[in-house]
Amino acid sequence: MKMEDMPLSGPDNTRLEALVHDIYSELVDDACLGLSFEVHRAVKQGYFFLDETDQESMKEFEIVDQPGVDIFGQVYNQWKNKECECPNCKRLIAASRFAPHLEKCLGMGRNSSRIANRRLATNNTMSKSESDQEDNDDLNDNDWSYGNQTSPRRSKSLKHKNGTYFFRCRHYNYSSGINYETLGPDEVRSVLTTGCVMPRCPGRSQRCPQHTDEQRRAARVFLLGRPPPLPDVDAVMESDTFDIPDGQSLMSRLQWEDSPDVSPTDSASSKATCCAQNEAKTLRSRSSAQKMVFIENKLNVKHCAPPRKLYSSRTRYALFRNTAERRGEAREAARGGQFEDVMFGHF
Amino acid sequence: MSKDSQMRAAINQKLIEMGERERLKELLRAKLVECGWKDQLKAHCKDVIIEKGLEHVTVEDLVTEVTPKGRALVPDSVKKELLQRIRAFLA
Repeated sequence: MKMEDMPLSGPDNTRLEALVHDIYSELVDDACLGLSFEVHRAVKQGYFFLDETDQESMKEFEIVDQPGVDIFGQVYNQWKNKECECPNCKRLIAASRFAPHLEKCLGMGRNSSRIANRRLATNNTMSKSESDQEDNDDLNDNDWSYGNQTSPRRSKSLKHKNGTYFFRCRHYNYSSGINYETLGPDEVRSVLTTGCVMPRCPGRSQRCPQHTDEQRRAARVFLLGRPPPLPDVDAVMESDTFDIPDGQSLMSRLQWEDSPDVSPTDSASSKATCCAQNEAKTLRSRSSAQKMVFIENKLNVKHCAPPRKLYSSRTRYALFRNTAERRGEAREAARGGQFEDVMFGHF
Repeated sequence: MSKDSQMRAAINQKLIEMGERERLKELLRAKLVECGWKDQLKAHCKDVIIEKGLEHVTVEDLVTEVTPKGRALVPDSVKKELLQRIRAFLA
């Protein structure tokens, strides 16, 4: 890069210095030439004196350099101490605060309407029945337990008081509940060994809090065609002793062929008392598992499964996490807002 | 002496070939604008033009006016820095 083929000694040094100075002079001359060409062109093209006008104007707009005054000669805090009277509220307002005060006072302008609306909204909602819903939530939260799931309570929870429960269901996505009709034999086996055995129950553990042990045993008996060998029906060990039932026989059992009353369409149109009597008759002859399904159908919650006995917060959270992981949607679990939707029904 | 001039020619050529000359020129120009040298000189030009008359100004007039004044007005710091750079390049 550099010129290294120049060995330097005494006289050479001075010569080098002279050389350096010469190069420097050349550069400076170039700069001066450039400037003179520029000026000459400006003169000949007529734009050299454009920034100058007559003497009078020049004096007028001269740069001011006095204390307390800006370069234009204006005093910048001249109006600081002055006060103005508001035509609306007749108060004396400082000059710098006058415009914003007028905006709020007259009710015009962007922010004043927003604030007023917000104030109205908070006043209204305070008197609403939001507090009632809070109480219900707490009630239901503490209420779940094994073997305590009588149907009157369930129907109470089903009343969609506002959107809260409904949307809670939606977020929780009850499609994760087991629908045996759509599963193949292998899937049925996995479901029986991992999740709650009750149809359409989204519980993930074999002892989900929604159903009693008796219900579970009944469901197993019905599905597998034999009573489970061990007395502790719902122990995890039992999973190893399951035979995969023949898929077809299993499906046929799920058809409820001999009980047309239980079909969904009927439940949807239940109107007369004779219908109700028939249903009562058929209901008595069924196992508790069948009763469960029947009740579900009666209550006609197809798209949104009943918001079961609402779990405690902890259970709900655990279930939610499990659901999300299972579906490989770790994103949902990480997204805090989604969970909050589940918890509090906001959306 | 011809050796000397030969050397100079060689150095100049090297300077141009490697683009160092351009770089030095730009550096000098920037520094002169920054320190106000250009404005000073322009003001001087204005006087000359008014003196000579707007219509009759020639390039030679301007050059002969500007160059000696320009050389004198270059601040010392700028001069030193430029000399340093040239020496560094040659070394």
